[in-house]
Amino acid sequence: MSARPRTARRASRARGISVWLIALLVALVATVQIRSEAEVERSLVGIDSTSLAFLIDDLHRANESLDAEKAALVRLRAQLQSGQSGAADQVLTDEANRLRALEGLVPVQGPGVVMVIDASGLQALDLQDALNNLAAAGAEAIDVNQRRVVTGVPVTQTRDGVAIDGVVVVPPWKISVIGDVNRLAAVADLMAQQLRADRRVREATYRIDSDVVIRSVISERPFVYAVAS
Amino acid sequence: MTRPQVATFALIALVALATGFVLAGQIRAQLLTPSNQLARYQALVRNVQELEATNADDRRQIASLRVQIDGLESEAAARSAATQALKSQLSDLRAHAGLVAMHGPGLEVSLRNGVPGPDTGGKAGYLINFQDVQDVVNLLFAQGAEGIAVNGRRITPLTAFSGSEGQIVIDQGTPFTAPVKVAAVGDRNRMQEALDDPSALPDIRARQVQFQVHLTFEGSPDVSLPAYDSSLQIPHVSST
Repeated sequence: MSARPRTARRASRARGISVWLIALLVALVATVQIRSEAEVERSLVGIDSTSLAFLIDDLHRANESLDAEKAALVRLRAQLQSGQSGAADQVLTDEANRLRALEGLVPVQGPGVVMVIDASGLQALDLQDALNNLAAAGAEAIDVNQRRVVTGVPVTQTRDGVAIDGVVVVPPWKISVIGDVNRLAAVADLMAQQLRADRRVREATYRIDSDVVIRSVISERPFVYAVAS
Repeated sequence: MTRPQVATFALIALVALATGFVLAGQIRAQLLTPSNQLARYQALVRNVQELEATNADDRRQIASLRVQIDGLESEAAARSAATQALKSQLSDLRAHAGLVAMHGPGLEVSLRNGVPGPDTGGKAGYLINFQDVQDVVNLLFAQGAEGIAVNGRRITPLTAFSGSEGQIVIDQGTPFTAPVKVAAVGDRNRMQEALDDPSALPDIRARQVQFQVHLTFEGSPDVSLPAYDSSLQIPHVSST
């Protein structure tokens, strides 16, 4: 007869556990839901919707560039796979020429813009910023006063002024840039406006040119420390 | 426990679960309804996340394609001495363009955000920004760095830095924020001396004092840099 109360107690305990389990489950679901919301909010801290829109625009452009690169590489692979006589040599030669142009080792030409900045007191950081702005606008080749510039070429401040690869470039700076004319012109326009507001700047102009010719080149420097992995 | 009791508990559990979902949904809806601003935000963020995922996938594919092409070129080079000579020239050009992984002595620079404080010039001075990264990279190149990577992204002759506030974008990569690690291969002593020079990196130094922005560096006998994994197309340039 004592089995009945025990069974009842067991049943009651089971009910209690079930209720706790259900409560736990509900709390868990609610917490996960609320935390996921908080997570999204946290990721947005410091980024307003305008910046996000710009970010989306940049990512679209970046992904388009990556798509173009993929397509070019697929074409290259197909050429190499074709096994046709001389195909590999042609691919290697074309690629080498492209890289020489990109690394500033050969003279190049193409559509672009030419900026002229005449100022006193501008520093190396000012020129670095200007060059970076143009690079971010898709510059494919840059020359400043007959000195070729790519990322990695030192633009430094010396006692005599701003130097590119150790050679002082005396203002006015004539910056010749090859690339997408629309993007370069938009940035050049913005830069010219900002520069004209600077008291140190006497002149800041730009013109679009359908055929900018850059004859300056960089000397190839062999690696001393770096080893290919 | 009898069958009806089990059914009752199962029913209670289901009802409780449904209540939980409804409650969570309600909380979520309440967060969104005031101006629907968060919903728009979320849509934008989702868009960014999708684009970032595509970006990462594209870069993986590009890296893979370059490995395949290198293999095919090596096969062709094995069949002809002329092709071998071309391949050798190209390998050197690729290394200088950042298209080849490299290693060697060098150093690693760490940049970390400081603490918010009274700001000047409308900029969040305590945040590491793309110009800080650009300045460190330029300084290292000026001191003879032969290769540099920033948070695993290799710097190339066409590299550009951009971003806003604490967001940093390098070339066609996705944005990132501090901490930033700049790894450079080259003359370790020269680079260390330049970073030790109190007159170098004036903007960062000033913000070290004002906002406790962190800049530290450490030399290493062997720093590894990955290969560049994005686009290096120059469609508007032709040789003269």
